[in-house]
Amino acid sequence: MGEVRTAASEGLASCHMCGKVSPVREGHCPRCHSKLHLRKPHSLERTWSFLIAAAAFYFPANLLPMMSVSGLAGNSSDTILSGVINFWKKGDFLVAIIIFSASIMIPILKMIALTWLCLAASGFTSASPKNLARLYHVTEFVGRWSMVDVFVVAVLVCLVQLGVISTVTPGPAILSFASVVVLTMFAAMSFDPRLLWDRHVEEAAESPETT
Amino acid sequence: MTEGEEEESTQEPRAVVRRRRRWSSVWVVPAVALVLAGWLVWKHYHDKGPLAYVRFSTAESIEAGKTEVRCRSVRVGIVEKIELANDLQSVVAEVRIDPDSEGLLRRESRFWVVKPRVSASTISGLGTLITGAYIELEPGDGPPPVHHFDGLEEPPVTSANVPGLRLTLVAEDAGSLTAGSPIYYRGFEVGRVERRTLDIENRRIRFDVFIDDNYADLVREGTCFWNTSGIDVTAGADGFKLSTPSFQAMLSGGASFAVPKGGVPGRPINDGRVFGLFPDEDAAKKSIFVPDHKCLLFFDQSVRGLTVGAPVEFRGIPLGRVVEISFEHSPNGDSRVPVVVEIDSDTLTKAVEDIDNGKDVLAECVRRGLRATLSTGSLLTGALYIDLDFVPDAPPAELTKSGEYDVIPTLSSGLAQLENKVNAILAKIEKLPLEETLNKFGTAADEIAITVKEVRSAIDEAEAALVEAKKLLARDETQNITAELEATLKEVRGSVESLGPNGAVQGDLSRTLDELRAALRAFKTLSDSIEEKPNSLLFGRESSGNSEPKAKRK
Repeated sequence: MGEVRTAASEGLASCHMCGKVSPVREGHCPRCHSKLHLRKPHSLERTWSFLIAAAAFYFPANLLPMMSVSGLAGNSSDTILSGVINFWKKGDFLVAIIIFSASIMIPILKMIALTWLCLAASGFTSASPKNLARLYHVTEFVGRWSMVDVFVVAVLVCLVQLGVISTVTPGPAILSFASVVVLTMFAAMSFDPRLLWDRHVEEAAESPETT
Repeated sequence: MTEGEEEESTQEPRAVVRRRRRWSSVWVVPAVALVLAGWLVWKHYHDKGPLAYVRFSTAESIEAGKTEVRCRSVRVGIVEKIELANDLQSVVAEVRIDPDSEGLLRRESRFWVVKPRVSASTISGLGTLITGAYIELEPGDGPPPVHHFDGLEEPPVTSANVPGLRLTLVAEDAGSLTAGSPIYYRGFEVGRVERRTLDIENRRIRFDVFIDDNYADLVREGTCFWNTSGIDVTAGADGFKLSTPSFQAMLSGGASFAVPKGGVPGRPINDGRVFGLFPDEDAAKKSIFVPDHKCLLFFDQSVRGLTVGAPVEFRGIPLGRVVEISFEHSPNGDSRVPVVVEIDSDTLTKAVEDIDNGKDVLAECVRRGLRATLSTGSLLTGALYIDLDFVPDAPPAELTKSGEYDVIPTLSSGLAQLENKVNAILAKIEKLPLEETLNKFGTAADEIAITVKEVRSAIDEAEAALVEAKKLLARDETQNITAELEATLKEVRGSVESLGPNGAVQGDLSRTLDELRAALRAFKTLSDSIEEKPNSLLFGRESSGNSEPKAKRK
C-alpha cells in the first residue's frame, strides 16, 4: 500500500474549477486560471464551522413552530415533532414516518456522519476509508432531499390563504430548518474526502515502521 | 507537503514565509449561527408571554386553542390548555397572555366567561352565539405579577374600574333581590346590586351595591334603603296599601333609597359603607326615629291586633314603635299585658316645649297626665297602635320603674272603652225592675181587655142606629122624592124643545142666514168686476182707452 503513488505525491493537483490536472507549482490552472491546491484549503476547519452553525440552527428548527394554521377552528401552530405526533395519533403512520425521517432523522444523522468523517480525517478514529468514503457520498446525496419540509410549507403557505376560514403562515422554525439543511450541505461540500485517504496512507506508512 | 516545500525551496531561493492565520474567517459562520439561533429561541419564548391559570367550575364553552381572552373586546391572549384540577372539583384553563398585555395580570384582575345569558333583567353576550364564547379579563388594581386566578361564574354587573359608590346592604331576608337588580332613587335607576352573599355567621344577606358616580352624592349618612321587589300589599294600622314597583323591578327585584321625611341627610359617604335594607318603604320611614328610651306599658285588656313594630304616636305624630310583647317583663301575679316600646324622647321633648330639659321629661309628662292607650288604627284590619296623649281627667299617677324600664301608666280605650260602656249599659239593664214592669204590663193588659169590651158595646149601639136609619128610608116621605124628580125632568125637556125647528130661536137663525147670503152675492159681483178690469179699482168702471193713472193730487 505504501507504494501507491498519488497525484499529490507527484505534485499534481486537480483544478477545483475545471478538473484539469496540472503541476501544483504552477500556482494557477493553465486552462481556467483558478488557483491550484493539492487539497481543498482549510477543508476541515470549514466543515467544522458549518457543522457547528448547522447544529446551532437545529435547536430553533425543532423547538419553534414550523407552521401555524389559523381559521374557524382556532389557531394551531405545530413544531416538527408535534406535527409528527399529531399524524401518528391520527393513524397516518406513513406520513409520520416520512416527516420524522426526512426532517428529524436525516439532518441529525448527516451532522453525526460529518462529525465522524471530520474526526476520521483528523485521525481520531480508525475505520476503513472505503466505508467512510461511501458514507460521505451517501451524506452528500441525501442532503438535498431534506429540503422537502421547507417546500411543503412553502407550497401550503401559497395555497391556503382562505382568509377567515383558514390561513397558513410559516413559523420561525422554517428559516432555521432551511439553514440547517443548507449549512449541512455546505459542510458536506467543503469536506475533502481525499483527506481520508491521505490519513490512510500516512497510517499505512507509519504502521510498518512501528511494527 | 514536505516534498512540495522542498521543491519550492529549490526553485525559489527567496522563501516567502506566510504566517498561517490562526483563525480562519470561516469561523464567523458558526458564531453568527449560534447568536442567531439563540436569539430566535429566546425571542420565541419571550414573545409567548406569561401563562395565567384561571380556575372555573366548568369548562363549558371554553375550548383550548380557540377561546380567546379579551379585555374590553381587545384580544390579549388565548386559552392554551384546559385541565381538570387536582381535586376534580373544577377546571384550570391555562391562558397564554400576549407579552404586551402582561401588565393585566394583577392581584384584583377578574376573569369570567362571556357567553349568551338571558335573565329577567338583561340579555347579554348574544354576539358570542356566532363567534363562540370568550373569556373577559378585567384588570385589577393590585400588584402585577399574579398568575393564578379564580374565574367568576357570573359576569360582574359593573366592572371594578367604573367610578361609582360601592356599598353593602344587610338584610334579614333576601326577597327577590339578586345580582343585577336595579337600585332606584325616586323610581329612577341609579345603580345595581352587584352580588349577594349569605353571611352565615350573622345569618343575614349581604348585597354589594354599586351606585353610579353621577348619583353617588344622593347617598348620605341618613339614607335608608328598602326593598321594592314584587307587589306589596300591606294591611297595617293605616288601612290597606298596595304598592307596585316598575315592571322590571317586579320581575327581577329592586331596591330604593331615600332620606325619609324628617330625617337628616348628613354627609356624603365613602365606599364600603354598610346600610340596613328595610323590607319595605314603611319600615324605612319609621327607621328615622332614634329610639333612645325603652318604656314598659301594662295594658289591662287584650292586645290582639297589636304587633311588634306597631307605631307609638303622640297625638298622631310617630314617636316610636312596639318592640316586644311578652309576659317576661310582667311581675309575678300580674295578668296585665306588658308591652315594651321604644320612643324617641327628643321628639317628645319638642312636642312639650315648656318642660326644662334638665328634668326628666317623661316623668313630668306623666305627672301632667300623659297616658298610653291602645287605639284602633284600622277598623278593617283591627290593627292597633299605641297612642300617647295627655288625658285631662286622668287619675294622678307617677312614672315608675319595673326592672330596667320606665312604666308609663295606661288607660284602656278604644274598643276596650266601648266594651266597658256596653258592659255598663248591660249592667244598668240588669238592674232594671223588669218583673214589676211586667206585672204592670199585666194589669195594663187587663185594663185593655175591659176597654175592648166597652168598645164592643159601643159598636152594638152603632148597629142599632143603622137599623133605625134603614127604617127611616123605608118610610113614604122618602118615596115621594122620586115623583118630584120626575116633574123636574119634564120641565127641562120643555125648555129644550124651544130650541128645536119650531122654536123661536130657530126663526131668528134662518133670518140671519138669509141676510148673510145676500151680502155674499153682492161681494161676488164686486169680485167679478175686478176680475174683468183689475184697473177698475184705480180708474173706475167707465174709463177706457188711454187711461191715466189717478195719482194722488198734491
